[in-house]
Amino acid sequence: MNILAPLVLDTATEAPVTDELQQVALPGRASLMRRLARDKAAALAATFLTIVALAAIFAPIVAPYDPYFTDLSKAMQAPSAAHWFGTDTAGRDVLSRVIYGSRNTLAIGLIGVIVGGLLGGFFGILAAYFRRLDGWIMRIVDIMLAFPAILLGLAVAAIAGAGLTAVIIAVVVATIPDVARVARGAAIGVMGQEFMEAGRAVGVSDTALIWRYLTLNCISTIFVFLTLRFGQIILIGSALSFLGLGAQPPTAELGMMASQGRDFLFISEHIAIIPSLVIFLIVLAANILGDAFRDVLDPRLQQ
Amino acid sequence: MGRQIVHRLLISLPALLGVLFLCFCLMQVVPADPAAIIAGPDAKADTIAAIRLELGLDRPIIVQFAEYIWRVIHGDLGRSIISNKMVIEEIAATMGPTLELMIAGMLFAIPIGMSLGTIAAVKRGTWLDRSIMAIAVAGVSMPIFFIGLILIQYVGYKWDLLPFLGRSGPVWAGGLPNLILPSLTLGSVLIGPIARLTRTSVLEVLGADYVRTARAKGLRERVVIVHHALRNALIPVVTLIGLQAAFLLGGAVVTETMFSWPGVGRLAVGAIISSDFPTAQGAIMILALAFLLINLLVDVMYVYLDPRVARQ
Repeated sequence: MNILAPLVLDTATEAPVTDELQQVALPGRASLMRRLARDKAAALAATFLTIVALAAIFAPIVAPYDPYFTDLSKAMQAPSAAHWFGTDTAGRDVLSRVIYGSRNTLAIGLIGVIVGGLLGGFFGILAAYFRRLDGWIMRIVDIMLAFPAILLGLAVAAIAGAGLTAVIIAVVVATIPDVARVARGAAIGVMGQEFMEAGRAVGVSDTALIWRYLTLNCISTIFVFLTLRFGQIILIGSALSFLGLGAQPPTAELGMMASQGRDFLFISEHIAIIPSLVIFLIVLAANILGDAFRDVLDPRLQQ
Repeated sequence: MGRQIVHRLLISLPALLGVLFLCFCLMQVVPADPAAIIAGPDAKADTIAAIRLELGLDRPIIVQFAEYIWRVIHGDLGRSIISNKMVIEEIAATMGPTLELMIAGMLFAIPIGMSLGTIAAVKRGTWLDRSIMAIAVAGVSMPIFFIGLILIQYVGYKWDLLPFLGRSGPVWAGGLPNLILPSLTLGSVLIGPIARLTRTSVLEVLGADYVRTARAKGLRERVVIVHHALRNALIPVVTLIGLQAAFLLGGAVVTETMFSWPGVGRLAVGAIISSDFPTAQGAIMILALAFLLINLLVDVMYVYLDPRVARQ
């Protein structure tokens, strides 16, 4: 989870945002898409993620079977024409469960990124704008950083009981401090810009300065960071589910499916391997896409 | 440098208090009444009240927190509800194996990650560089349990090369075979990030003036890279390795659970699943404290490696 933080922070706090970079930071949508399309790996990753996302959204239409329908006479069948990914220990169709499972897995990632990103971005930008709040906010952020995501997951599960909610709370809370630091770093760079001073000089209100000047100029940095965090959040969420602290059976969630399959690994390996492989591919695609976004949107982060 | 370290220690105090407070809160907000849990399901109301009094649960929160810190300092983390052993003893028994696993994982990951990163930087732009970076991205995208599952299934079970269940004792007493698969699993998640950062760092250093000077002096390329470039490129990598401690601790929780490794992480997960609150709280606290300590050590090491930091 912390892999990217040092890279992002160093550059975000030290490099001032130049005029040239601001032009790069908010390119038109068409040119952004064109540049992304030129990167073959990124195009492939985007296509894959789109397919997975569509399958997850339209799971009831796409899934060939009911993911919760058990048929013990068909338990633990290897992949075949009827069941492309085989069946699990209860004879449920693994492909259908993977499709429904990616729903929950992607939802954990998205909620983590969106809610954690909004809260983290809010606090980071506040800290940069109101210097009096800075010390307090960053001290709290430091304390939050003292709890690695998995530990948070353990703590939340200990309090609230294991379940999807526990995982979501854990990934949101774990995302806030990292985003807050990145947002603060980027916002401090923007605060040093002349247009901020100019805005204040002509009497623009704090709210307008924060929203229209500061936030808009930090948004691409935060966005890139969040794309790169998306995969990490999915990894954390599925690890928590794998430990038995997340989604509870019979709910389909990829990490939990891998965990259930683990008990029957030696008899029928596909039950655990296939959901794990799907998580790997989703995270890989998200990371490749994140790297590509970073190269296009925020070259400063590329070290 | 001494001042820098004292300063850093002072900065970590609020974080330390924060961790203790959160762990203390863990006990407070647990949905069930701790006294009722300890007394058991069939306890009478006055028994619960007696336990409540004994635990000091009737006093103000701040007093309870102060007493909690006092008890923690004296190593009193309560008793496990399941085994009725002192939590501190349970934790003490698991700390060695966790430390062993983390060190073994790092010993495996650091040399491989740094070599891959250096090779990629030196051979920049070649197919070798591209394949190493592809491996690195794949590495950071891999769920740790996926690697563990594959190792258990193939190396452990199908090919029957190495044991994969539990720990058979310390490394010097024949425990090495049992340690290999868990530490490969844990270490593998570190290789990618280390390789990526080493590459960037070496690339940056290779463009520096003193490397050009070293080359101009006619030093052999190997000497330039190993003695001049790598030493300086090491600084950010050391920081990263420290920051990865969080990742590694988290990974240790999963790895220990998978390989039945008797560490703190497995203790914590087991305690949470069996609602053994004192043990869960103690294990989570120890993990958080360990994390704080590692970060502190990294900062100190950073000052030592890069004296410029101390002068700021």
